[in-house]
Amino acid sequence: MADKLLKFSSSPHVKAVRTTKQIMRHVCIALLPACIAGVVFFGLNAALLIALSLTSAILSEVVYHLICGKKLKEIYAGFDYTSAVTGLLIALSVGVQTPWYAIILANIFAIVVVKMIFGGTGKNLVNPAVTGRIFAFMSFLSLMSNGWVNPNFASLSGASSINAETNATLLTDLLKGNAPALSNLDLLLGTGLAGCIGETCKVALILGGIYLAVLGIINIGYPAIYIAVTGLFTVCLNGFDFNCFLPAILSGGLMLGAIFMATDYTTSPNTTLGNIVYFALLGLLTAGLRQATGIEVVSFVILLMNLFVPLIDKFVRPKPFGFQKQKGGKK
Amino acid sequence: MSTRKGKNYPYGIHVKDMKELCSESQIVKMPAPKKVYISMSQHIGAPAIPIVNVGDTVTKRQLIGQSSGVISANVYSSICGTVTAIEDIVTGNGQKMKYVVIENDGREEEIFFDNISDFEPKTVIERIRLAGIVGLGGAGFPTAVKLSPATQLDTLVINGAECEPYLNCDYRLMIENTEDIYRGIKYCAMALGIRKIVIGIEANKPKAIEAFAKYHDLDVVVLKKQYPMGSEKHLIYCTTGRKVPCGKMPFDVGCCVQNIKTVIAIKHAIEDNKALSSTVLTVSGYGIQNPMNLRVQIGTPLEDIIEFCGGTKGETVKLIAGGPMMGRAMMNTTAYTRKTDSGFLFLTKSEAAVSEPTNCINCAVCAKNCPMRLMPMYIESFALAGDYASAEQYGAMNCIECGSCAYNCPAKRSLVQSIQMAKAKIKEMKQNGR
Repeated sequence: MADKLLKFSSSPHVKAVRTTKQIMRHVCIALLPACIAGVVFFGLNAALLIALSLTSAILSEVVYHLICGKKLKEIYAGFDYTSAVTGLLIALSVGVQTPWYAIILANIFAIVVVKMIFGGTGKNLVNPAVTGRIFAFMSFLSLMSNGWVNPNFASLSGASSINAETNATLLTDLLKGNAPALSNLDLLLGTGLAGCIGETCKVALILGGIYLAVLGIINIGYPAIYIAVTGLFTVCLNGFDFNCFLPAILSGGLMLGAIFMATDYTTSPNTTLGNIVYFALLGLLTAGLRQATGIEVVSFVILLMNLFVPLIDKFVRPKPFGFQKQKGGKK
Repeated sequence: MSTRKGKNYPYGIHVKDMKELCSESQIVKMPAPKKVYISMSQHIGAPAIPIVNVGDTVTKRQLIGQSSGVISANVYSSICGTVTAIEDIVTGNGQKMKYVVIENDGREEEIFFDNISDFEPKTVIERIRLAGIVGLGGAGFPTAVKLSPATQLDTLVINGAECEPYLNCDYRLMIENTEDIYRGIKYCAMALGIRKIVIGIEANKPKAIEAFAKYHDLDVVVLKKQYPMGSEKHLIYCTTGRKVPCGKMPFDVGCCVQNIKTVIAIKHAIEDNKALSSTVLTVSGYGIQNPMNLRVQIGTPLEDIIEFCGGTKGETVKLIAGGPMMGRAMMNTTAYTRKTDSGFLFLTKSEAAVSEPTNCINCAVCAKNCPMRLMPMYIESFALAGDYASAEQYGAMNCIECGSCAYNCPAKRSLVQSIQMAKAKIKEMKQNGR
């Protein structure tokens, strides 16, 4: 061994095995239950849509790298599954009636404009999936928010199916004294709920969340804060009617947004306190804006709060061990 | 005497122990090598000045390097023989230092100090200074200086944490040389005029805890197995509950921290009249045939140690002097044992982290684990951007370079390296500013 120079580097010389690639692969695995639920609920079209979204996300990244002059081998070696996560999230947060070109455009926008132009993985200011979804919704509003497809399973409570986008207004219905169209169990399982592919079955999303929490990839407390604050603030806004709590947290894209989108490492704060502030504000804004606008606002709220993360990180900083306040008058 | 549990400190990491490779193998005394290369700079501060010439005959424990200031230390010969060269050598870690090369002539003689007549703090400290004892935990700060603080201290903290993976030398000494350590501790306490002595030992060393529990005047603190428990500041917090303020030293909170190997050297210098001329090393890793704990003469070439341990096996990709978390990598086997060495590790591909860094994903795992409560990802990005003023604002100077951040970084970024650079630049800026 004396004739060859050994690897020379700064300490530490041993490291934990987990890499970015592994983390992102785990997130993909955590999204699988929601994907499967989507296919079971909405049939083959959902499967095609998820596949299309996944491919276009990955292809956008590959093509971008190729244009930048990277070799295919390097791109393969550097592939870290972040674009796969984005592709899956975009597919899961749209309805099965979404036209194919809208999906492709959403992915290109998410990957190229939101992520790659800013410098790739970890450099994006806002969550690519959230922004891609909003881009598609704004661009093809009538196509994407009409013509919701009923799931393969009818409501357990026997109510006629209602769609997810209007199901935030369920709360307003409730306020006006109308009986809710779907029971809480229906909302939890997604039976009879015509909505986005991945947002319908909450059980699948919670399963994915538990998977990530067990692996230590996300802190389950943060999405819990978001969901709880949304529910409680809705209760407050509705004159402390606790019947609103479960419909509020089980409807719309709150679960998907809270567990998979808001917890994105890059676009969430870096401190415990910062995260508590961030997720609590998300909850307050979601509940408040839902009430005020009558539409589902989770992705808009996440996009908005993403922009405040650098500000939160600037002001919320841990104090170093042994920190002492400078005494007044001392320069 | 019973033991007590240490205070809980929530920040830090759990690293793979890897101590089992040689934690149960007794310390073996390695025979004196044919040739020793004794560094004149085995401590923090000014290098010692060689007082022998080429061709001189020296005896074991004869003074060959004279301390050249207050922050400096004497260096003694570790074998009997002839000085063949006094030269600058570049070792495997890239450092250039002055070495005295001595060829063994096989004599079995030894020089001893005179017996100490009166056990006064002053004479004891003088003997420690004379014997060339420095902090053997790695820093190499002259112990005599540490034992003469400006203010009266009240607690002596003995560091038996040994939180670095792989290393077992302190652990073996605590089991095999318990009485020596105890006596060394008593001399330390006497020199400082302190009655309160705590010894912090990590919970994964039950035999060592048991060994010390019998001394009624030692406060044995069982520490949680957590890295970096052996860091001075964290050891003091967990054993006494005191927080060393940022930028301050242990003596600012009335504590003096001593290492296990240092107190043994103190005992030998005072009771056995021996100057410091050997040290205990852990030679471990999957790249070495027989991982073991060795007592070697200072100046022993690493090549001889490898041979004594049965040679290497498999492909070593990294050779480390010290522990894997804070030790120094070496590019080849040109190394000669120094007072402060605690081990040589031969890490194979399966153990050593050699992956390329990728983009930071802002996961904040580094900040979550930082035992100093810093935000390494920001300090790193400021350092890489050349914005050292901001790096300082984010507390770069408080970094203890323990490596907890880089250990868990999923993007495999060289956080410690960047922070070290920032620290060096900040120091430079401050010096130029004055």
